[in-house]
Amino acid sequence: MTQDHHQRSVTATTGVDALSLDLLAHALSTLTDPHDRKSCRLVSRAFATAESLSRRAARPLTHAALPRVLRLFPSLTSLDLSACAGLDSTSLSLLPSPLRLLRRVSLARASGVGPRGLYALVTACPRLEALDLSHCVAAGDREVAALAGAEGIRDLVLDKCLEVTDVGLAKVAVGCPGLERLSVRWCREISDIGVDLLAKKCRNLRSVDVSYLKVIGYYPPPSLLRITSLSTLEKLEHLAMVSCSFIDDDGLQLLGIGGSSLQSIDVSRCDHVTSQGLASLVVGHNFIQKINAAHSLLEIDTCFLSKLPAIGASCKNLVEIGLSKCNRITDAGIVSLVNHCKCLRTIDITCCHLLTDDALASIAENCRRLECIRLESCLLVSEKGLERIGNLCSHLKEIDLTDCCINDAALQHLSRCSELLTLKLGLCSSISDQGLGYISSTCSKLMELDIYRCSAITDDGLAALAGGCKKMRMLNLRYCDQITDAGLKHLSSLEELTNLEMRCLVRVTGIGIASIATGCPNLRELDLKRCYSVDDASVWAVARYSQNLRQLDISYCQITGLGLCHLLSSLRCLQDLKMVHLSWVSIEGFEMALRAACGRLKKVKMLSGMRSVLSPELLHMLQACGCRVRWIDKPLVYK
Amino acid sequence: MVDNGSQPSCHAGDIAQQQQAVNTDLTCLIVQLISTAELTDGTVGGGIEIDNVVEEQDTKDVDEGGDAGMDGENLPPGSYELLQLEKDEILAPHTHFCAICGKGFKRDANLRMHMRGHGDEYKSPAALAKPPRDASVENAVVKRYSCPFVGCKRNKLHKNFQPLKTILCVKNHYKRSHCEKSHTCSRCHTKKFSVLADLKTHEKHCGRDKWLCSCGTSFSRKDKLFAHVALFQGHTPALPSEEPKASSDQAGLVGSQQEPAKLASSIDSFMWGNSLSNDSALDVKGLESCSDDFLSTANYGSFNFSFGRLDEFIGSSSESSFAMLPPDHFQSAQKRGGN
Repeated sequence: MTQDHHQRSVTATTGVDALSLDLLAHALSTLTDPHDRKSCRLVSRAFATAESLSRRAARPLTHAALPRVLRLFPSLTSLDLSACAGLDSTSLSLLPSPLRLLRRVSLARASGVGPRGLYALVTACPRLEALDLSHCVAAGDREVAALAGAEGIRDLVLDKCLEVTDVGLAKVAVGCPGLERLSVRWCREISDIGVDLLAKKCRNLRSVDVSYLKVIGYYPPPSLLRITSLSTLEKLEHLAMVSCSFIDDDGLQLLGIGGSSLQSIDVSRCDHVTSQGLASLVVGHNFIQKINAAHSLLEIDTCFLSKLPAIGASCKNLVEIGLSKCNRITDAGIVSLVNHCKCLRTIDITCCHLLTDDALASIAENCRRLECIRLESCLLVSEKGLERIGNLCSHLKEIDLTDCCINDAALQHLSRCSELLTLKLGLCSSISDQGLGYISSTCSKLMELDIYRCSAITDDGLAALAGGCKKMRMLNLRYCDQITDAGLKHLSSLEELTNLEMRCLVRVTGIGIASIATGCPNLRELDLKRCYSVDDASVWAVARYSQNLRQLDISYCQITGLGLCHLLSSLRCLQDLKMVHLSWVSIEGFEMALRAACGRLKKVKMLSGMRSVLSPELLHMLQACGCRVRWIDKPLVYK
Repeated sequence: MVDNGSQPSCHAGDIAQQQQAVNTDLTCLIVQLISTAELTDGTVGGGIEIDNVVEEQDTKDVDEGGDAGMDGENLPPGSYELLQLEKDEILAPHTHFCAICGKGFKRDANLRMHMRGHGDEYKSPAALAKPPRDASVENAVVKRYSCPFVGCKRNKLHKNFQPLKTILCVKNHYKRSHCEKSHTCSRCHTKKFSVLADLKTHEKHCGRDKWLCSCGTSFSRKDKLFAHVALFQGHTPALPSEEPKASSDQAGLVGSQQEPAKLASSIDSFMWGNSLSNDSALDVKGLESCSDDFLSTANYGSFNFSFGRLDEFIGSSSESSFAMLPPDHFQSAQKRGGN
């Protein structure tokens, strides 16, 4: 620190170094993009110090780095340990002195953490408010009991913690009375008894997610009554009960009695819910903003028709409605819905096959503030409907037209929505480069584009894309097999590209991939499965330049052991690797490569025949480091 | 014959009990008169309403109610035959008892031998043979038993004498009330019993309550526990085997999870030379067992990796990691890769 002072006093009056640390921190706080912050950090030491002192969130990738991260960034409020390879109870128990500022911790998929580690975490962070334990599939009541000591917790996510039972839930309910958000999706051991106790103890709950629970209980009739104790929660705003098969219209009606605070309800996949139930629910709740009833409401269309206007009439505030897979919905129903709900911003009508351009036209006319519309598999939609959308819905940010009959003219109309961020055009085989040209000329903010299996796209389309959509982040080019190295060279000018999926682009060779690797330094996910021309030379560039790569799929590529070893030893951030059918790699190659990266990998996917061939020590070591190996049987030759 | 089917008229217990003592002797006399009258007349004195106060049950006294003991049946004092066995007889480990004199035997055959002494009717082959199950002979005379312990309510000298119905009742009663409890429950180690059958009944239910609250109360059902927890502040369900260890470090209780910490130190010992030389999986014979897909295109033996150099591969991020390998290997690999 003294050297820093000395340096700064020498170059005192010039440049950034003259400013004080808190001024610099203030300047940095106006930058929202982490890439920009990183650039500042690299520019000057003063900025770096200011940045590290004011940094709020961190996401370490190895458990060894954890103490250092906590030391360097004393103002951390949010710590994301979900990407931390090899995290276990010991590393958590070695956390430094009370971290008074840490509020949010994410331990998603941290399967090595046990009750001891959680207890240490709770002790070290007295002000912990939010904790995410989702997908820790071995987490059970003991782990959750350790959490019950954190009284200040307000947001708890326990999705897919499969061993948690009612006892664990009760401990949390009693120990954390200030709980505001709780999600226990897929925790199938939890029953209505636990949920009932939760509703009685945690009166401040705002968001409850009990999706996919088989909440039957020991004695069926009272179980429904116990669930309805949820309706006594006065502050409940969001309730999700996806695939809760016990919920039917009576249940919904019972839930309708209660506070009018409910804003969002999700009853997707509830087989026994009909539109009548939904209607009775919304009648009681005028503030309801989001309804998601996907996969349900499979009943005769006339009955639905009569109820949909009721829903429309009684909730003027409806902002989001999800009706995906409710395939009996017709145009008339949608028309009557949007006539009443003019504030709709998100409409999900995936797989509603009967809808035509008329429905789309009425949506466009009525819902001027539309931001997201999902029309996957609505086969009757064509460019006429999209013309109305393009003209009238200027705020549109996301549109999903997978498997619709879209052509270039439709894209031309759509290009009038210049705010577009996400565009999904998978399986639209009639799109060509011209359509892409229209889009890229006006939609400069586009971040995500999906042209899966649009086989008419060639390198020129990619050229247009690279020229117009500089902010592109996620690009899906799977099976667009006309693309060659030239197209990838165009893509290399997209500096912000993070996800690139180029499965089965057989004409792409090492030259194209090298240009991507050098041009897109932020690449995080790369899918090269079945790019049969990819070999060691191509992979060399990836290993050298794509240091941010987290997820890689090189199945069926012609890489040898050399290339694999090089990859796995150079890519320090690589956590998820799929290498099915690397036929050119020897066993020594696999052994070498996996040993090189075993402390960093979290997931590996390999051919199941390898299981008997690899040494048991290696497999044991992988398991000890917290790496999960998936064995899969796939044919060598695809027909 | 004594009419033993007359139902008692139920009075309010309190006042009636006081009158019991007074009425006992009177009733005894009256009943005896009636029975002698019946013998001479032949008419059943069913119309006579005897105030069977004495036979009113003390409702508390139903400890013999398990088997065919006292239910609501009332017998006027003189209408039955009263037997009193001695303490030694009761405590003796006999299981068969003579109905006439109460003598105990271990075996039913011995009892039948003994019955020969009570009359000729027991000498017939039918009586001597093993009795069939459904031969429920309605005895002409009802027998009741008295407990030999003086001062016990089941003793005939007691004011409010309550006879016992069968010999087994006598046995059980005597052991439960007048003997010390020698059998202890093996699960809870607290409850003691004098009768082995009682212990077995207890063991059926002992330890069944597996739902525990943090206050120590145990419940047999989950919903009962949760109702209790909901009612009180600060109570939580307790995890079953965790209570004694709740505060201490659970070093070993991680369940099915891996504890990589233990193995972290051993990772360093995965030296190349040691592991690969011992490992038969890398030998050629191990490779023969894998699938054809793999065998056809894999090239082993073409890489001549010298193990000593590869120590630097482990865990290090080396940009120029391949500089150390001889260049001809790299080129040959490239040639093959390019095919």
